[in-house]
Amino acid sequence: MNLEIAHLHLPLTAFALEVNARLGAHITGVFGASGSGKTSLLEVIAGLRRPAAGRIVLDGAVLSDAASGVFLAAEQRHIGYVPQDDALFPHLNVRQNLCYSHTIDQPGPPPQITYAHVVEVLDIADLTERRVASLSGGERQRVAFGRAVLASPRLLLLDEPLDGLDAELKQRVIPYLHTMRDEFGIPMVYVSHNADEIVALCDDVLLLERGCCVRRGTCADLFAVSQAPHYILKPD
Amino acid sequence: MNRSKLLLRIVGAIFIGPLCHGRLAAGEVTVFAAASLSDALREIAAAYEKTTGDTVRLNLGASSILARQIKEGAPADLFFSADEAKMDDLAQAGLIDPTTRRSLLSNSLVIVVAADSNLKLSSAQDLAKATVRRLALAEPETVPAGIYARVYLQKQGLWEAVVGKMVPTENVRAVLAAVESGNVDAGIVYKTDALISKKVRIAYEVPRGEGPRISYPLAMIKGGENPAGAARFLALLSSPAGKSVFAKYGFITEP
Amino acid sequence: MSFEVWQVAWFTTWVAAIGTLLILPPGIALGWLLARKHWPGKTLVETLVTLPLVMPPVATGLMLLKLFGRRGLLGRWCESVFGVEIVFTWRAVVIATAVMSFPLLVRTARLALEGVNPRYEQVARTLGAGPWRVFWTITLPLAARGLVAGAVLAFARALGEFGATIMVAGFIPGRTATLSLSIYHLVQLSRDNEAWGLLAISVALAFGALWLSEILLRKRPSL
Repeated sequence: MNLEIAHLHLPLTAFALEVNARLGAHITGVFGASGSGKTSLLEVIAGLRRPAAGRIVLDGAVLSDAASGVFLAAEQRHIGYVPQDDALFPHLNVRQNLCYSHTIDQPGPPPQITYAHVVEVLDIADLTERRVASLSGGERQRVAFGRAVLASPRLLLLDEPLDGLDAELKQRVIPYLHTMRDEFGIPMVYVSHNADEIVALCDDVLLLERGCCVRRGTCADLFAVSQAPHYILKPD
Repeated sequence: MNRSKLLLRIVGAIFIGPLCHGRLAAGEVTVFAAASLSDALREIAAAYEKTTGDTVRLNLGASSILARQIKEGAPADLFFSADEAKMDDLAQAGLIDPTTRRSLLSNSLVIVVAADSNLKLSSAQDLAKATVRRLALAEPETVPAGIYARVYLQKQGLWEAVVGKMVPTENVRAVLAAVESGNVDAGIVYKTDALISKKVRIAYEVPRGEGPRISYPLAMIKGGENPAGAARFLALLSSPAGKSVFAKYGFITEP
Repeated sequence: MSFEVWQVAWFTTWVAAIGTLLILPPGIALGWLLARKHWPGKTLVETLVTLPLVMPPVATGLMLLKLFGRRGLLGRWCESVFGVEIVFTWRAVVIATAVMSFPLLVRTARLALEGVNPRYEQVARTLGAGPWRVFWTITLPLAARGLVAGAVLAFARALGEFGATIMVAGFIPGRTATLSLSIYHLVQLSRDNEAWGLLAISVALAFGALWLSEILLRKRPSL
């Protein structure tokens, strides 16, 4: 995967998102406090927001280019998005949520990732006929992952997927993310304000502060263990 | 002056002002009259106001609606109806002073079309033809102009043919407006109505012998606010001067 | 109750229903545009759409009369293209009720559509759904309750329409006689007792429609 974000500029309420980076790892982390622009960055990559300036190129294909006016619509980008509040469609049951992308006729080869495989890997086989409202937090997350994966995206964007889950639940969901990376081979961009999650999952990390990427490196470069078994940010 | 005083004065003026204004000033006469009398009455009323200094309030509309309003207690000094039935109705309810009742005027019916219309009517029978798609009349059950029109059409054996294309209106002047607007092909109004409008022309005049007997009774309402003024105005209406104004507009005056 | 009363009630319900159905697509579309998009002139459109709600109905009726009358812009067009007359027919009743109910529908539709979390629509887009598909499979079903409530409210308003209707359709027994027009007519004829019968039906219909609308609006699932 090769995602090029060249001179991106997107004005937000308090500051502007300015990113210039090339992402290529399996799982790239974007670490920053709340309100640092992380969600906006994902929205721009997904095609849900239009940047004021800059280019975004994925594997050689131009997704958006403000200078020439090119903007590929979100539905044509094949970039999966799992938002912060999972956003499972409440009027559909679990199976209908999962298969939503399959109801749309899309050109190209049939999806490599099958329903049976996803349901097995994410351990949600017995949930399929349930209504979304009856699911627990952890179950909702797994269904949200499954739904995004079943669209066979070439890149998956995850916005604080473990936010709101307690520590124990997080420990149980993280292996699923590993499995998703290993089983389906989809590159991911993982956004979080929680250092432990970033360290557990990501190979390459961007530190975002007030819309700007201020540091970049591996987990070892950026994070150090602290007193309690948690990670904290190393000083510059 | 400070804010609250100013506010109080403004509020006072808004609420109390109209009350002072609304009370019947000395010498105000309220006349409820049929719509067809509008123009003639306005002229007579203006002359009356000049000579006496009184004010005349005209409430013009369908006699049926006016009669109903009077029955419900609306303040009126005089009632000038377009047919005897409405006056009889009020008389039975004991609402008029029967000694003041008199019939001053008559009228004739005409069929009008828009001034720029090509429609030609050689007789009323032409109303049944397909060239007349819509015919406006005043409400045929209640409004005098409509009742007269219906009675006439029934006598001519045209009622069945015409009832399907009829557009009933609230009063006779509304018929005129409908014909003027072009939304109907023809309308039945009083001759006096046709004469005041330049936007319509008379396509056929109902001969006096064939049409129903039209009569405009006038009477004072019992318990009116200004009986003296009402009596004065009534006298003027019945005088030769008053009658000449009505004649000018095309009314037929009873001697 | 006499046969005529039921005929009038049936006619009123029927034109109100047709009028409501007519305004549903444009009403929902406009509600969506107002809820989701920003565009130049949006405030002007919002104000224009709300106008019939606040203006005296007879004023609206007068404008419709000028527009759809035989000499009016649309009246002439309809007559030349379709060969049909609008004023003083049931079509005028439908138009009057539709115009008067439209602002109510747009307002409620807009609220219902604004109540749908845009996140759902965004996720659907990333799953490959184009804007139309998103609208039909996500937005509409999630806003359905509110939209139906809006339609019912518009229907109730259409049932009771008087001012605009009497201007543009007049009261022609058997052709444009709605419940409210008939009540007015009967009162003018001093046939108050019969008017009570129609009044009772009007109240019952309006009550039923409003009740339904309230129920639909209340039990909103938490999204």
